[in-house]
Amino acid sequence: MQYFIQVVVDGVATGAIYGALALAIVLVNRATGLINFAQGAMAVMATFVAFALTRAGVPLIAAALAAFAFAFVLGALLERVVVRRFEGGDPDIAVVATIGLLVLLTGISAAFFGYEPHPFPSFFPLGTVNLFGVFLSFRSLGTIVILVVAMVALQVLFRSTKLGLAMRAVADNPRSSALSGLPVSRLLMIGWGLAAGLGALAGILVAPQLFISPGMLDFALVYALAAAILGGLDSPVGAVVAAAFIGVVENLAGAYIDVIGDDLKIAVPFAVMIVILIVRPQGLFGRKVVVRV
Amino acid sequence: MEKLLARRSVRLVALAVFAVVLVVAPLVSSPFINYQLALIAVFAVALLGVNIVMGYTGQVSLGQSAFLGLGAYIAAYGVKNGWPLLLVLVLCAVLPAAVGMLVALAAARLRGLALAMITIALPIIGIPLARRFSDFTGGSGGATVSFMKAPDWSGLANDQWRYYVVLVIAVVAFLLARNLVRGRVGRAFAIVKENEAVALAMGVSPYRYKVLAFTIASLLGGVAGFSYLVVVQFTSPETLSFFTSINLVAAMVIGGSASIAGTILGAIYFVVVPVLAGAVNSARTALISGAILLAVLFLLPRGLASLPRRVRQLSARKSHGRTGATAPHNSPDGASSAAPPEIPEIPAANEERQAR
Repeated sequence: MQYFIQVVVDGVATGAIYGALALAIVLVNRATGLINFAQGAMAVMATFVAFALTRAGVPLIAAALAAFAFAFVLGALLERVVVRRFEGGDPDIAVVATIGLLVLLTGISAAFFGYEPHPFPSFFPLGTVNLFGVFLSFRSLGTIVILVVAMVALQVLFRSTKLGLAMRAVADNPRSSALSGLPVSRLLMIGWGLAAGLGALAGILVAPQLFISPGMLDFALVYALAAAILGGLDSPVGAVVAAAFIGVVENLAGAYIDVIGDDLKIAVPFAVMIVILIVRPQGLFGRKVVVRV
Repeated sequence: MEKLLARRSVRLVALAVFAVVLVVAPLVSSPFINYQLALIAVFAVALLGVNIVMGYTGQVSLGQSAFLGLGAYIAAYGVKNGWPLLLVLVLCAVLPAAVGMLVALAAARLRGLALAMITIALPIIGIPLARRFSDFTGGSGGATVSFMKAPDWSGLANDQWRYYVVLVIAVVAFLLARNLVRGRVGRAFAIVKENEAVALAMGVSPYRYKVLAFTIASLLGGVAGFSYLVVVQFTSPETLSFFTSINLVAAMVIGGSASIAGTILGAIYFVVVPVLAGAVNSARTALISGAILLAVLFLLPRGLASLPRRVRQLSARKSHGRTGATAPHNSPDGASSAAPPEIPEIPAANEERQAR
């Protein structure tokens, strides 16, 4: 039972990382209606900024804040300079543009830091805490707490601030928002900036575990995409729940089903997902899209 | 009419020149160049599959690498067990097609991103499976084979012989696909892409044609896998990599969606750009490739195949001093009428956005 709880908590922690990235994907999708394949590469780039700063002797927390600022500016800039041109056109082309960004940004990270992985400092001490006989690692607990705080903050931003309301309006109907005087262009840039910041958070939290390299989040991106689509692309809560679900299912299957083991556990959440999507095509929490002729 | 005839003869001449180049090229180039040329023929077939699903039928497919890998593994297994090559080729076509059809039968009811997700899952599940069943696949180390050596009577080197083999496969695949997309099935694909409800009203079952498109794409993926093994003589779980699928999609859009010529251009792009970028600076391959991809999208959002039209448009703009409405598509592929005409509303919305 204790082992079970440990496995589940570790699964939620891994899932929380995917969740942050998935949330970033959902944010971008709501704002600009496209899937951003470069979300992970942007996050890695911001994490590299934190990496360079910590290596220069800046304390981790300051380095992380600088990375967020960098990510925000990067996201806003990419939206304005690159993505804007493809918005409202053929969605296939827009998605391929983000694939181009993925390759380009990975290349830029590699140009500065090389492809080999580097160790990255962690916010949390190694070791575990004993909660009612269950040993939980500081890293898992800390990751979950930080990401829950981030998600609550985001929810507050979207539900109870004027900025959030404006961003939701733009996501809903850019033309009407423009007519009622909202600065649509700037709001789209803010949306992308926020998403990039969330990605940077995921990158910094996962880097101590994975070691930082340009391709660090390539795999996490696939999970995050899965979580975003499984949760329903219009539902932030859904994305987070789906991400936790993926993390837990993967860990449980790896731990308890011998045939599956460590190598095949990746396949399990995806197989489950296929079944869920076939039963509920709109995702777990998504709204059904009504198609008009 | 005369003009059309002239253009037609021009096209025929161009086609003949292209054919001669394809046949003569390996005789005068180095083994390295022949290897790249053969790879273009390999990935052109895989890309043709992506284009049939995405470009012609409008369904997102991010799983083509899974079928490429499946085909390559079947070929490797067959070759190792000494099966006749023709049988191996047929199996490489039929088995991936069957897998693709099974997946599509379940998934084709879904639309858009849910469908995309299921196709993403294919390589993600496929890679650990390929590692696990090492008796069949050779595990993480992959499977190395040695076959398809040039027969003595041909007087060709291995690289030249293999190039001709995969070229013949590619040419056959392209001829069949061209007839398919120009005919009844192609028109059905186009209407499914345009509007499923309209398709239904016209008696075209979107479900059936989506399944058909996926099946054809998987078949082509499997055949490309066979060609891949012929050229590379090696396959590993890396062949299935999700990023190969993503890059195939990128190459499809770069070449030109719903266009046969665009598919060939896309394959050239897919193979040549990384090589070129590596030649410029091997440590900056990704950076240069990404920059090229974005540059092409900025200049030619409809793909390399739209270059002539784009040039005509620009020159027309210059001489008439006003932007023509989109030039009528008289693309040779017929089905390009499926490409939606540029919607005037959206640029207006964009201008509105930028106005503030």
